[in-house]
Amino acid sequence: MALHPDFPLPDVDDPVMKPFWEGARAHKLMQQRDREGGKLHWPPKPMYWKGGERLEWIEVSGRGEVFTYVVAYEPFLPAFQDKLPHIMVVVQLAEGARIVGYMKNCTPEEMRFGMRVRVAFDDLTERVTLPVWEPDR
Amino acid sequence: MTDGIDTDLFRRIRDQVAIVGIGHLPFAKDIGRPISDTAVEAIQLALDDAGLAAEDVDGMCMFEMESTHEVSIARRLGVDGLRWWSKISYGGGASAATIMQAAAAIAAGLATTVVCHRARNRGSRASRPWAQEREIVKDDKALHTPWGLIRPVDVIGMWAHRHMHQYGTTREHFGNVAIAARKHANNNPYAMMRERKLDMETYMNARVIGYPLHLFDCCLETDGALACVVTSVERARDLKQIPALVHSVAQASGPNPVHLANYNNTPEMLTTAAFCAELLWRRSELQPRDMDCAQIYDAFTPLVISGLEDYGFCKRGEGGPFTEGGRLELGGELPVLTSGGGLSEAYVHGFNLILEGVRQLRGTSYNQVPDCKATLVTGASGVATSAVVLRAD
Repeated sequence: MALHPDFPLPDVDDPVMKPFWEGARAHKLMQQRDREGGKLHWPPKPMYWKGGERLEWIEVSGRGEVFTYVVAYEPFLPAFQDKLPHIMVVVQLAEGARIVGYMKNCTPEEMRFGMRVRVAFDDLTERVTLPVWEPDR
Repeated sequence: MTDGIDTDLFRRIRDQVAIVGIGHLPFAKDIGRPISDTAVEAIQLALDDAGLAAEDVDGMCMFEMESTHEVSIARRLGVDGLRWWSKISYGGGASAATIMQAAAAIAAGLATTVVCHRARNRGSRASRPWAQEREIVKDDKALHTPWGLIRPVDVIGMWAHRHMHQYGTTREHFGNVAIAARKHANNNPYAMMRERKLDMETYMNARVIGYPLHLFDCCLETDGALACVVTSVERARDLKQIPALVHSVAQASGPNPVHLANYNNTPEMLTTAAFCAELLWRRSELQPRDMDCAQIYDAFTPLVISGLEDYGFCKRGEGGPFTEGGRLELGGELPVLTSGGGLSEAYVHGFNLILEGVRQLRGTSYNQVPDCKATLVTGASGVATSAVVLRAD
């Protein structure tokens, strides 16, 4: 299905977020890690941040669990009309950070808190791919 | 978090600055005038209420997400010249912050008489920003908007649903908040919902907006313009109204803040209000038990439940049961949203909660808490927020 003209596409050229979006284009879920201690920073920090030399982008496992979610039904935003009911999630990554996404291949009835999910990728345009989630059955 | 700023400043603010005038235009679905115009009239009404004139004003503090300018409002009003002004971001998070910044300016000697206001036209469907996302989304918005997490009801629904899962909070608990606000609005001739009753059956059977939140969990959308006048307590005592003293003030973003979809604050996903509350009560001689009522920001019912926890009226996780038995209604242990709030009076980014706090201390509320000595007014949680404790002179 063609992308709706009002779809809220992200700025993939944002200097801080660029590695995340470039990774997504290559179907990799990227996170920023502090080499010392291994803690993930989400949202990511600029590399000129104090301690920025310790930061690195890594591909993470793409597995996590549902921390919380909401379900949108009719009527919703026109750009997402073909996805209804649209399940939006906050996923707690296995590596610790919490990120926003939406579910695919899943119904609202199947949703559970703590449910295991794995990353999938929705290619929206030539430049924009969204990391999204599906049940890790 | 340390608060090693100028603690002496908070002592100079505490009970030394007062809200001396309040005013607002009748709330409407379509007010038919731009906010650059309604703002001026609302400020004029607040000055009239205080017995002051535009010439007495030398400071202005406002918040908005649109685009109006202090200088043009002051010019139309007839202010001789502003010596101090500030404009605060983050929508409903900024409401109580206007009082904090005005009080700080007065205590610091930057201004003597400050008008704070909010004018907002949002009654019309087309005016809602999430209905018109068309550009490439940048900055914090790119962390949630591309996945469809755009409407505030969904952003806040994430917190609400987690609270339900973690603590057993129920839809009936949310309903208790909606019904308390509605009962109060039914006594308020200015409330948009003054004629409409709400019972639990109607609440439960309402249509879903973004599961788990339903129609009556959501605030109204209203056109409105409101203002108040802040000055020193010495001046306040010579004016015609009973002053509402500014006792404690705070603004807080919390750690690792993301605008709106702020889910990485802490392992528990605490909202900004928890951090604001810590500062507020540390700067206050009064504590939650001293509050005779509370005006807790209510864009959505679950925010009142988390607000009761964040501001220390009950323990974490007990906000749901706290709403039971009419505790939040007039006559209950802690009446909340005694004007009807954003849920049932008008949604004007919480400025109506400030005006209602002042009315309670003057003894002029339509839902007057007998002998009200102190009240809490909070801004929106989730976004960078603010709160103020007001007390009687």
